Amino acid sequence: MCWLRWEVMSVTYFKLSLRNARRQARDYLIYFVTMVMASALIYVFNGLAFSNEVRQLAQGLDSLPLVIVFASIVVVCIFGWLVSYSTRFMLTRRSRELGLYILCGITNNQVAQLFFLENLAAGVVSLFFGVALGGLLYQALRAVVMSLFGLPYRFALTLSVPSVLLTALYLSAIYLYALQKNRKLIRRMKIYDLIYYEKQNEDAVIQTGKGRRKLFLISIVSGVIGTCLLMTGGTAAGLIGAECIIFFLFGFFLSFASGVPAFFDRHPFRKYQGQNLLVFRTLTAKLATMGIAMAVISLIFTATLLTEGSGFMINGLTRSRAADNACFDLYLSAEGEKKDFTPYLVYIAENIPVEQSLLYRIFLSGSTQVMDYICEHTAHDNYEYDSDPVLRFSDYAMLRTMAGYPAVEPEPGKYLIHCKSFLEEPLRSYDGTLSLNGISLTAGSIHTEHLSQGFYDMTNGRDYILVIPDETADGLEIHHTAYAAKTAEPVTEAQLAVLSDMSDQDYDEETDPLGYVFVDTRANEENMAAMQILLLVFPLFYIALALTMTAAAILTIQQLSETDRYRRQFVLLRKLGMDQRDMARALRNQFAVYYTMPAVPAVLISVPFILKLCYQPEPGVMVGISSPAAVTAISLGVFFLIYGIYILLAYTSLKRNVLPKRFRK
Amino acid sequence: MLQVQNIEKYYGSRNNVTRALDRVSFDVADGEFLVIMGASGSGKTTLLNCISTIDTVSAGKILMDGVNIADLSEDALAKFRRERLGFVFQDFNLLDTLTVEENIGLALALNHTDAKTVQERVREAAGKLGIADILSKFPYQISGGQKQRTACARAMVAGQSLLLADEPTGALDSKASKNLLEIMSAMNRDMKATILMVTHDAYSASYADRVLFLKDGRVFNELLRGDRGRAVFYHEILDVLAALGGDVSDVF
Repeated sequence: MCWLRWEVMSVTYFKLSLRNARRQARDYLIYFVTMVMASALIYVFNGLAFSNEVRQLAQGLDSLPLVIVFASIVVVCIFGWLVSYSTRFMLTRRSRELGLYILCGITNNQVAQLFFLENLAAGVVSLFFGVALGGLLYQALRAVVMSLFGLPYRFALTLSVPSVLLTALYLSAIYLYALQKNRKLIRRMKIYDLIYYEKQNEDAVIQTGKGRRKLFLISIVSGVIGTCLLMTGGTAAGLIGAECIIFFLFGFFLSFASGVPAFFDRHPFRKYQGQNLLVFRTLTAKLATMGIAMAVISLIFTATLLTEGSGFMINGLTRSRAADNACFDLYLSAEGEKKDFTPYLVYIAENIPVEQSLLYRIFLSGSTQVMDYICEHTAHDNYEYDSDPVLRFSDYAMLRTMAGYPAVEPEPGKYLIHCKSFLEEPLRSYDGTLSLNGISLTAGSIHTEHLSQGFYDMTNGRDYILVIPDETADGLEIHHTAYAAKTAEPVTEAQLAVLSDMSDQDYDEETDPLGYVFVDTRANEENMAAMQILLLVFPLFYIALALTMTAAAILTIQQLSETDRYRRQFVLLRKLGMDQRDMARALRNQFAVYYTMPAVPAVLISVPFILKLCYQPEPGVMVGISSPAAVTAISLGVFFLIYGIYILLAYTSLKRNVLPKRFRK
Repeated sequence: MLQVQNIEKYYGSRNNVTRALDRVSFDVADGEFLVIMGASGSGKTTLLNCISTIDTVSAGKILMDGVNIADLSEDALAKFRRERLGFVFQDFNLLDTLTVEENIGLALALNHTDAKTVQERVREAAGKLGIADILSKFPYQISGGQKQRTACARAMVAGQSLLLADEPTGALDSKASKNLLEIMSAMNRDMKATILMVTHDAYSASYADRVLFLKDGRVFNELLRGDRGRAVFYHEILDVLAALGGDVSDVF
C-alpha cells in the first residue's frame, strides 16, 4: 500500500536512498567527515607513492611504493572496521524504520538494496570530497618532504590519477565488504527482528550477575599485574604482561556495567553524591551495549600511542644521528697511518670544489682513565678503543673552523674534552691528570658541538675525545687517519658513489691489511635521514592517524547517537528543578568520564613502552627534543590533540542539542 | 495556594498569532484536587506548562503563595520546581538508565539531600505507593501502572506541595488507571497533597473536588463535586462534555 503511494508520488528507490543518505549525513556528520578525511589521507599517501618527483629524491626511495601499499593495507583494514561498525550501528538505529518499509510491503531484498545504495552514495560523496581535500593536503605533505631533503618547494596543484584510482579501489573494498555484510543481514531478518532490533540492546543494559562482578575484580588485578610485568622488562614477562593487559581491557569494559552498580550497592550513600547517579548510570548503560567496542577502542588507542611513540623515536634517532655525523661536507678515514689517501685526494681535487680541508690523525693516549670514569659514572660501557682517543689542538681548531663553530683558545697545561652533550654533566666533575711524553696535563674546558663522534670508531672519537697541545702528541700510537673537507657545493650522490667504489676496489682483507677507507658526506647523511623518515616515520604516522580517527569517530558516533535520549533526560531534569550549572556540569562530567575511560589504560600501558623504547639506542642520541620524556610528551600531545578535536566537536554538538535552550550559555 | 489571574498565551509570529490561553483565571486552594478538562487543542497542557514554569505567559499573573512566579530568576525557578512542584506525565518520564529507587531518589538528590535521608525517604514513599518490592528494578522491567506509581513517588518524595499531573492515566489500562487514581486520591486525602490534573477522561476527572472545563483557551465551565458521590459527579462531567462538544450557546 505504502509502496503504491510512493509510486504515485514518484518516489523511487534512488530518490529515497538519496533522501536517507542526506538525512544520515546530518545525523552522523562526524562519521562522514571522518570518511572524507580517511579518503584524503589514503589519497595523500598514495600520491607520495606514485610521485616521480619524490622517488627521484634518493635512490633508496624505490621501495617507497611498496611501503605505502603495505601501510595502506593496514589503514584499509582499520577504516574497514570503522565503516563496518558504523553501518551496522546505523542499521541498528534505523531497524524500526527499515522494518516499517517491509511492513508496508517492500521486500527484504529491496530494503537491503535501499540501505546499500544510500551508504554507497555516502561513500561516493566521501571519495569525491576526500580527493579534493587530499589534493590540498598532498601539497602540504610535499612541502614537508621537500624540506626534509633540503629542497625548495613550489606550489603546484596536481591530480594524481593512479592515486585517485587506488583510493577509489580501497574505498570500494571497504564499503562493499561492510555493505554486503549488512545486505545479507537485512535479507535474512524478519519484520519482528527489525522492529525490535533495538530492544536486543535494551535487554542487555544491566548485567548484575555475580560472574561479571568477579570478572571486574579479576580484570583490575590482571591490569595491575600486566603493567608491573611490562615495567620489569624481559621478553617472556613482557608477553605475559601484554596478555594480562588485553585481558584487563576486555574484562574491565565488559564487566564495568555491573561492577559500578556493585560498588554502589556496597557504598549506597556515594550514589547520591554530586553528579554520581546520572554520570555513572549513563555510562554503565552505554558500556553495557558497547563493552567489547570500548575494549577494542582502548586497544586501538594503545596501538596509536605506540605507533606514534615509535615514529617520534625513529624520527629523533635518525635526525640526531644525522646531525652528529653530518658535520663535514666530506669525511674519509682509515685505520692506522699507512693508508695512502692519494688516489682519493686526486679525485677530490679534480672533481669536488674544496674550500678547506684537513688530513689529520686520531691518537691513543695510552691510558683508559677517562673511559673508565665514563663507564663508572654512566650507563654506557661499550667503547672499542684500547685507550682514550686524543686529537692535536691545531687539528681540532681547524675542524671547528670547517664545521663553522666559534674558535677555542688553547689552554696551556690543560687538555680539553670534546664530547656529546650527554657526557658533559658527568665529565664536569672529572679532574684526572693526563701524562703524555712526561708532561702532565690537567682537565680543561668541555665542548659539546657535533663533531662526527658517532657510532663508528673511525670517527673523531666515540662520544668523546681529548684535545691535547700539539707537542704532547709526538710518539703517541695512531688509531686512524682522517680527512675532512668543507666544499663549495654539497657532494653529490654520484661523487660519493665514485669514492665508495674506489674504497671497495681498494680494499682486500687478505692483500690489504691497512683496512677499509670509510667515506661519508654531509649530503649523504642528511639524505639517508630524510629517506629513513620517509620510509619509516611517515607510514607509522599514516597508520597512527587512521587508528586515532577510527577510534575517536566510533566513540563520538556512539555519544551523538544518544542525543535524543539525553535531550529527553535533560528536559525532564529541568522540569524536576535541576539548575543550569548542575545540568551543564552533569553533561561535562558524563563526557569527561566517557572519553577518559578508554584513553587511561592506553596511556598507562604505552607510556612505559615508549620510554623503554627511547632508552634502547646508544646514549647521546635521544636528547633534547628527542629525549625519552619529550618523545613521550609529544606522542601524547599529538594523540590528545586529534582526540580533543573529536571530543570538542561532540561536546559542542551535544551541548547545543541537549541542554534546554534557556539554559545554554 | 495558587492564583491564576487573567493569563494569556500567544504563539506564532505577528501575522499568524495563535491564542492558546485567553484571560484564564482561577484559584487552587491548599489540599484541593482540581482537574482541568478540555478537548485536544483547548489549551490545557499550555496552562499546565505555564503553571509548572516550563513555559511563560504572554500576559497575566500566576501567584504561588502570593509570589508571582514570573518575577523569579532562573535559579529561583529551578529551586521552586525542585521544592514545590511534583510532576506526573502521561508517558511516565522515568530515566531508563536508573532503577525505580534511583528515579524516586533523583528528586531528593537534586535538592542535595544527604544520601542517608534519600534512602529512608525513598523507601517510605515507595511503601505508601506499594512499590517497595520493585525498587531495584529498571523501568523496562515493570508495568505501566508501576511506572506511574514510581512517578507519583518521585513527585511527592521531596515534600513537594503541588502535584501537577498531565494525563497520568493516558497510557494505562482501566485497572491500572483506577489504581493510580485511588492512590492520587489517597495522597490528596491522607497526605494533604494539592493536585492539579489535566485530563480529557471523565472517569479520571470524577476523582477531583472540582473540574474546570477549557474550550478554545478559555474557562468554559466549572463543576464542584461537593457531597455528591463519584458516580453522580461522573455523569455530570459527561453532561458538560456533551455540551462542550456542541456550541457554547447550547450550554448557557
